[in-house]
Amino acid sequence: MTVTHHPSAETLGAYAAGSLDTARRLVVASHLERCGVCRRAVGNFEAVGGALLEDLPPTPMDADALTRLMARLDAAPEPATPQARPAHDMSGLPACLAPYALGRWRWIGPGLEVRPILLPQAGGARLLLLKGAPGARLPQHSHSGEEFAAVLTGAFTHDGGRFGAGDFEEADESVEHRPVVTPDAACICLIAIEGRVRMSGVVGALLNPFVRI
Amino acid sequence: MTALALTSTPVFAPLAPVPQAAPAHWAYRRNRMEPGRETMTGRDTSALIAAVAATRDRAAFAALFQHFAPRVKTFMLRGGANAAQAEELAQETLLTVWRKADRFDASRATGAAWIFTIARNLRIDRLRREWRDAPGDGEIPEIADETAAADAALSGHERDARVRAAMAHLSAEQTKVVELSFFQEMPHAEIARALGLPLGTVKSRIRLAMNRLRDLLEDLS
Repeated sequence: MTVTHHPSAETLGAYAAGSLDTARRLVVASHLERCGVCRRAVGNFEAVGGALLEDLPPTPMDADALTRLMARLDAAPEPATPQARPAHDMSGLPACLAPYALGRWRWIGPGLEVRPILLPQAGGARLLLLKGAPGARLPQHSHSGEEFAAVLTGAFTHDGGRFGAGDFEEADESVEHRPVVTPDAACICLIAIEGRVRMSGVVGALLNPFVRI
Repeated sequence: MTALALTSTPVFAPLAPVPQAAPAHWAYRRNRMEPGRETMTGRDTSALIAAVAATRDRAAFAALFQHFAPRVKTFMLRGGANAAQAEELAQETLLTVWRKADRFDASRATGAAWIFTIARNLRIDRLRREWRDAPGDGEIPEIADETAAADAALSGHERDARVRAAMAHLSAEQTKVVELSFFQEMPHAEIARALGLPLGTVKSRIRLAMNRLRDLLEDLS
């Protein structure tokens, strides 16, 4: 299976720079786990970060900084091993989600469920899993902010093409799309949402009072 | 002491052939260097990290510290840390260099890029938590290890030269927005305000600059 939709250069640059909020960083990271092309692009942007770092004017360290740090080298414990078990019980999720617990699946419409990923930091975009049954149709909706989505399993299609496992999509206020899950299998996406999602159309208007995404 | 350590330490590889991009690289360096400012080539940095990993070489570590700690401190200050936090995070960054030196792979990244990712991850982990006063879980996925370019054959020196050559191709305006997006924890709206430009202009400038950089660097890995 090949990945055909990638993050923009701007997003990969922001990822490398460390300026994405946690939710968006994790959606990009889950794409990177499956996409060598973008991993290399991020590596290159990190090299730019290294070159820029070297060109920064130095700020003097405390006079005894090196001495104190040298003393800490002897005492330095081995770095803690990464936790062996994920903090959630759902299999098949990207490795970058392992540290995070999950909320409950919640019904948001015919064939559609969402499950929040519990991020420690308040603020920034929210992160959730969106599951669509085979053939499920997301109500037409628009965004009051930027949305990043990475397909984990299955596939959906809309005006912009077909998005399968590993694919990545960025949408902003200007995009109003209506994804449909392909009929062969359920689709699970990892989504970072900024602001509120507004459902439009008849079904959406009915759902809006009940469904807060 | 640093200079002495640099010339007497037998860890450096022989001079690599001058990369094609050398003229642009040196022009970039010359334009940006202030008088008396020391630089370290990619080869030196990689060799020093390798010496730390292989023999726990304290002189090599001291040389890395002298060069990078003051720059990482500036990086942290620009990211919004106060003086005490910046000092601590710069020390923490170099301590991590010492502890994880054996994980550095010179065939995949420049030494400076590797140290940048350590500093960046610490900034993400520590500063965000402290500023936003939110409970932290202390767990940041190892972005650097996950995403390092996999199958590169370039030496750190060549890679460093190519990156600088690519950066030299950006216009002054593009360089400015790239620097701002790397070093200021700044949403686009704030960059726009800082530069006195409309938000749309800033967004498209960042988009163009990042696309340009990606394309220029594509054959790097």
